[in-house]
Amino acid sequence: MELSDINYDKGDYVETASGNKVCRQTILCGSQNIVLQGKVIVQLDAIIRGDLANVKTGRYCIISKDAVLRPPYKKFSKGVAFFPLTMGDHVYVGEKSLVNAAIVGNYVYIGKNCIIGRRCTLKDCCVIEDNTVLAPETVVPPFTRYGGSPGTCIGDLPECQADLMVDFTRSYYQHFQPTKLI
Amino acid sequence: MSYITGPDVVKYACTCGLLKPISYLYFCRYCTQLRCSFCVCHEVDSNFCGKCSENIPSSEARSKKNRCGNCYICPSCEQELSPRVASSKASAEGDEKVAARKMYYLFCQFCRWSSRDVGIPDQSSVTGGWPERENVHANSLHELLDLDKAIVLAQKQQQEKDKKKQRGKFISYTDRTGVTAAALRKRIGLPADLTHPLLKSKPKEPEPMVARTEVEKLPDDIFTKPINLMEITTINQRLLQPEAQPTTVDKLFPVHKQLSIKRTLRCRTCEHNVSKPEYNPSSVKFKIQLFAYYHVPEVRIVTVEPLRAGKPCELILKFTNPTQHQTTISFEELNLVECSEIEENKFSELVQNLSIQDKQPLSLSNQSSGSLSLSSRSPSIVVKPRTITKSTNCTVEIPTSSFILLPRDDAAEYDDSGDTHSIQDDPKLVKWRKSNKAFVRLTVTPDEGLPLNTEVNCGFVMQHLYTNTISGQLEKKEPQKYDHKVKVFLTLGVTVGSE
Repeated sequence: MELSDINYDKGDYVETASGNKVCRQTILCGSQNIVLQGKVIVQLDAIIRGDLANVKTGRYCIISKDAVLRPPYKKFSKGVAFFPLTMGDHVYVGEKSLVNAAIVGNYVYIGKNCIIGRRCTLKDCCVIEDNTVLAPETVVPPFTRYGGSPGTCIGDLPECQADLMVDFTRSYYQHFQPTKLI
Repeated sequence: MSYITGPDVVKYACTCGLLKPISYLYFCRYCTQLRCSFCVCHEVDSNFCGKCSENIPSSEARSKKNRCGNCYICPSCEQELSPRVASSKASAEGDEKVAARKMYYLFCQFCRWSSRDVGIPDQSSVTGGWPERENVHANSLHELLDLDKAIVLAQKQQQEKDKKKQRGKFISYTDRTGVTAAALRKRIGLPADLTHPLLKSKPKEPEPMVARTEVEKLPDDIFTKPINLMEITTINQRLLQPEAQPTTVDKLFPVHKQLSIKRTLRCRTCEHNVSKPEYNPSSVKFKIQLFAYYHVPEVRIVTVEPLRAGKPCELILKFTNPTQHQTTISFEELNLVECSEIEENKFSELVQNLSIQDKQPLSLSNQSSGSLSLSSRSPSIVVKPRTITKSTNCTVEIPTSSFILLPRDDAAEYDDSGDTHSIQDDPKLVKWRKSNKAFVRLTVTPDEGLPLNTEVNCGFVMQHLYTNTISGQLEKKEPQKYDHKVKVFLTLGVTVGSE
């Protein structure tokens, strides 16, 4: 199915020179530590915790409503340390998902209501289905579909998944348009 | 979107008759046919561990029973185990040397199972040295395996011997000279029929298992003692360790993680590769990628009017040209009965041809048959096409005119100059177009008398001009063009009530 237009109120969003579209009603803590590479959409009530550690996203990332990006921590004998969260290009994070991963590769699709545990590594081209709970420090290999709680591999992905994701995020960005006043 | 998560609303019919979304199909450029995962050969390219992303050679993988040597999964919940540093117990034990060294244990972060639960001693290195549990029956299993190997060897030798005998019946060079091997043996004074000593050695007969006559009696308290379910393993936990099959949780031992594979796909008909991944386990690129998504125009449903039985409604489809060549698309009526008959005929012809080829070498002399079987590239396996079982309950008004799809241009995305194409389109057919995409209007009519809330399926044959760019084929500089036909099936939705 072709995506239909997703309209937003022009006053609610800030569009930067590099094409990022960020909603005003989001919580971006430590904004100096957050890098959005361009053409990234951050939607209503999303939370990005840049105050804990650096958060870097690639191009064409979509952070849906109520999603949380939070850098992972690791306990040491002397205390707790936070690690940066890096995200590749063409990544979709669904509504109300919590991403605690250390690395999210390119062309990754994370569904709704997911919990990606601490210091997970999502390799390129993987899909996390809706309502998945990934245990901490899980590694999701390329071309796999994870689902369930605890998240396990439930299937394979087609080899052209990278192009499907590119097409999906690009068309999402193109269809994410301000409401036209008539 | 629907390719990633949703239901597959547009399906293409593979040459073998299965319906699949375009993302799961391959396109063999040499046969110019669609192939699905059921009509290609799967070959294991490389083994790798999904956790540590390390390539493992196939021989090593075989000896380790396709499991990673360093990574473990939790025997309780099948999640990955991670090594943890043990807190120092220096003060408790009073031994300073132990305290100086870091000790590790395995820990599951999902169900909090740890290797200490079952009494595995902590290890001094992060990666390895975890004790392997010996299987009680390891010895007898090994014996059986060896025996099996011996039987296989003996059978192979027997087969070879039989083959030699058969060949001897028909052609023998010694026939012409008049000296047979047996005659020669007689002349030297050896027994005429001598077989190799290895051939005679028959595999040792296995010792049959003897049932134990004395079986312990059931303990009396088995019916009265309450069961603590927390101590008993589930079926899944038992089957995770088939050789041990622990019944209680205190016998759960960490399990080596199973390896994943990368695979090469090969067209069964022409034996060309249609997909070959790169060696690096974490790479998502391919050396050979003949996916249908890159060669066959993609069809997507944009909008469909509410479907009412017997009433025509408008369907808008989006066509995308993924290739670097301009293509022309036209439509044809889908006729499932006729198609299957044609396919059937084709298949029987093919089989006849094959059987002729198979028979030929017998009539020819031995030498030429060898070269013949090498040179002719006969299909290794013939896949019998299935008839498409999907039925349609909606007619598509087939447009008479065709339309052009422009080649894909990666730079078009950055081009703000607008649509400056000079293509004369049939305004009734093409609604709108942009770069390599076209939105096409079709009229569909669900069958009369369909009950409410029935799923409406329709189909058509899409014919597109395919430009083949295999270099060096037939020494032609110009790329060859084919008319390729694909059967496309659409699931439009459910019927709604009439107003």
